Amino acid sequence: MGLQRQLKGLWRLNQRMNQWRAMRAIKEALRVAYPFILVMALIDFVGQSFLADSGFFFQIYHVGTWLPGLETWRELFQAVSTVVNGVVAVMIAFTTGHYLARTYRSDALAIGVMSALAFLTLNVNYQALGQTDRGGDQLTQFVEGNLGPQGIFLAIVVGLTVGWAGSRLMQMLRKLQLRHPKWQLSWTGRVAWPLVLVLLITTGLGYGLSWISAGGLNGLVYQGLSTLVMNPGHRGLMILGVTALNNSLWWLGLIGPVSLAGNSSVTSLQNLAYAVQHGSGWGAPNPITLHTLGDAYANFGGAGMTLALLIAIWIGSRQTSYRRVANQTFLPNLVNLNEPTLLGLPILFNPILLIPFVLAPAVNIVVAWFALTWKLVPPIVYPVPRTTPGPLIAYLGTGGDWRALVLSGICLVLSVLVYLPFVRLLNNQGGDHDAA
Amino acid sequence: MRRNWWRWLLLVVMIVVIFVPSVAWMHRRVAKYKTVYRTPLDPTILIPGSSASQNRFDDLITELRKETKVTHSVLKVKVAENGQLSYTGSIRKGDNQPFIVIAFDNNRDGYRNINKQAAWLNIAFKDLVKTYHFNHFSALGHSNGGLIWTLFLEKYFAQTSRVNIDRLMTIATPYNMESASTTKWTDMLNELVKYREKLPAKLTVYSVAGTENYSSDGTVPANSVNQGKYVFQNHVAHYTQITVTGDQTTHSDLPQNKQIVLLIRQYLLQESIPAKERAKQTVNRRSLNGDPDLP
Repeated sequence: MGLQRQLKGLWRLNQRMNQWRAMRAIKEALRVAYPFILVMALIDFVGQSFLADSGFFFQIYHVGTWLPGLETWRELFQAVSTVVNGVVAVMIAFTTGHYLARTYRSDALAIGVMSALAFLTLNVNYQALGQTDRGGDQLTQFVEGNLGPQGIFLAIVVGLTVGWAGSRLMQMLRKLQLRHPKWQLSWTGRVAWPLVLVLLITTGLGYGLSWISAGGLNGLVYQGLSTLVMNPGHRGLMILGVTALNNSLWWLGLIGPVSLAGNSSVTSLQNLAYAVQHGSGWGAPNPITLHTLGDAYANFGGAGMTLALLIAIWIGSRQTSYRRVANQTFLPNLVNLNEPTLLGLPILFNPILLIPFVLAPAVNIVVAWFALTWKLVPPIVYPVPRTTPGPLIAYLGTGGDWRALVLSGICLVLSVLVYLPFVRLLNNQGGDHDAA
Repeated sequence: MRRNWWRWLLLVVMIVVIFVPSVAWMHRRVAKYKTVYRTPLDPTILIPGSSASQNRFDDLITELRKETKVTHSVLKVKVAENGQLSYTGSIRKGDNQPFIVIAFDNNRDGYRNINKQAAWLNIAFKDLVKTYHFNHFSALGHSNGGLIWTLFLEKYFAQTSRVNIDRLMTIATPYNMESASTTKWTDMLNELVKYREKLPAKLTVYSVAGTENYSSDGTVPANSVNQGKYVFQNHVAHYTQITVTGDQTTHSDLPQNKQIVLLIRQYLLQESIPAKERAKQTVNRRSLNGDPDLP
């Protein structure tokens, strides 16, 4: 009963948040950006898992040996992927600003472009500006990494701020004009003056930040997070905390700090060394790490066990849009590329989905921690490609231990069970309750 | 109902299509890791020449320790005639480039003794691999120590198939024993040439000779050292001959000769030695005129 009441409270919170102009702007912005991101993700799915040297399918199907013109294929896919993936955040800055301006009945297109430009100025590579053309290794004009998925949070913030401030400025100018009919200002002027002001502020901000961190504002946030996340030590609680924090950040649109990159860390190498000499991972020197817990058992589909979310949607959701997104993003999720699911449902800024998004991986980490400490399964020791389907990571990483496969199955089922009540709760959206 | 059946079939097909090849891939990868994996522990195993004990290289090791930033720990192994091993010293935990000196109770010269010593080396080597789990190493042999290494590599090394040798440096090793002749081959050289096909194909060999005059270092004839080419050339990956002249080039001085220490650091331990230091060494050599006490 208590749970029921809490779920109801959560639902009310969700409804109230959906009334907020900012929340609606974010949702709308993500809805518009979703098709582009979906296409990008499907292209990345092929590019990263079938064509890249380190891709999972590339390796298991020996794509390199039978596909003619491999290099050409790679370049083509990379070109498309770079174009869309590289500017996702700019797109979102535009759509957020655009939608917010529309709610203020301001000039939506102009404000949208203004937010995109403001976001770009925050990510100008100021170190590159001073350099003269000497050839050789030229720095790029923008901090390119920040324009991709990892810039989404900043893009939303900029979009909201500029969307609000720009609309207000344009309205003020219009009012001013009404009051002083002699002082005429064209449409151009009404757009140009706010733009100049906004750009002045963001350029100042960006330039100031470039003194602190080379990567701009995003770089600063990421630096702080990465150092925290890179060294969670061996203790289970720390790993739990770091993963939960990381997943909450993904929910905010800060996509990136932790990824399945633990293969090369010192502890993993020590484990590998041990396994190579002893034939298996039993008794490896570092059984409890972010890699052996999080990457192996709490990352199916990417951060937040989104693969389990998709299954929960297939089982329990009556929302057509959810089921559609689940079908569309299944393949990218299979190889741990879950950005389209995050932005498509969306999970981002969705208060109901935040809970299982953080909880499901946490449950898995606890279960895996017990299994590893009680020596029910060996830790994963062999490196696996980033794009390995989630439930297979532990099995392949232990060198084929069936107990790890069973544990992966248990983790998947548990996560689906964690997601299900929340997915069912979302069935109410747009239904009778919404109307009330 | 029909639709459901179709979905389950799709699921099964997907699992088979992904699972089966990935398991095959995994087994290949695990096997590959086992073959190409190199342990961080990368010892340098040193064998002294005849009539020398396990302490023969102390001067050299002091010299090497002085000039390297990381101090290498030293383990000494003595093999008795019945194959019993006695250890002194230890490999410090975390030291991945230790020195291991292997010496023999019966350290006498002669074709038959050296063959026996190669067999004893095999016993000690297997025990070291079993204890310390390294799967690659570098070797240094002074004088007959180089012969023991070569015999060992040709006749016994295949027994420890999981271990690879990266580099071998022999210092004043008389491949043709005491003979200065370029045409007459002793039993030793005949045997070494006979089994040379068995030498590890990826091995890199450096043969360093010292000469006091134009023909010998006082003990070993330069021609005998040169005969090493018949053993190694075209049977290992690289074979390099180096001749060092100047002071401290008598046979027994060679392991602590400054030039040779530098060669050991550069080629055997693969340290990166700054150009400045290399230049300094040469200058010192010229100005000191053989007085080692001057700074």
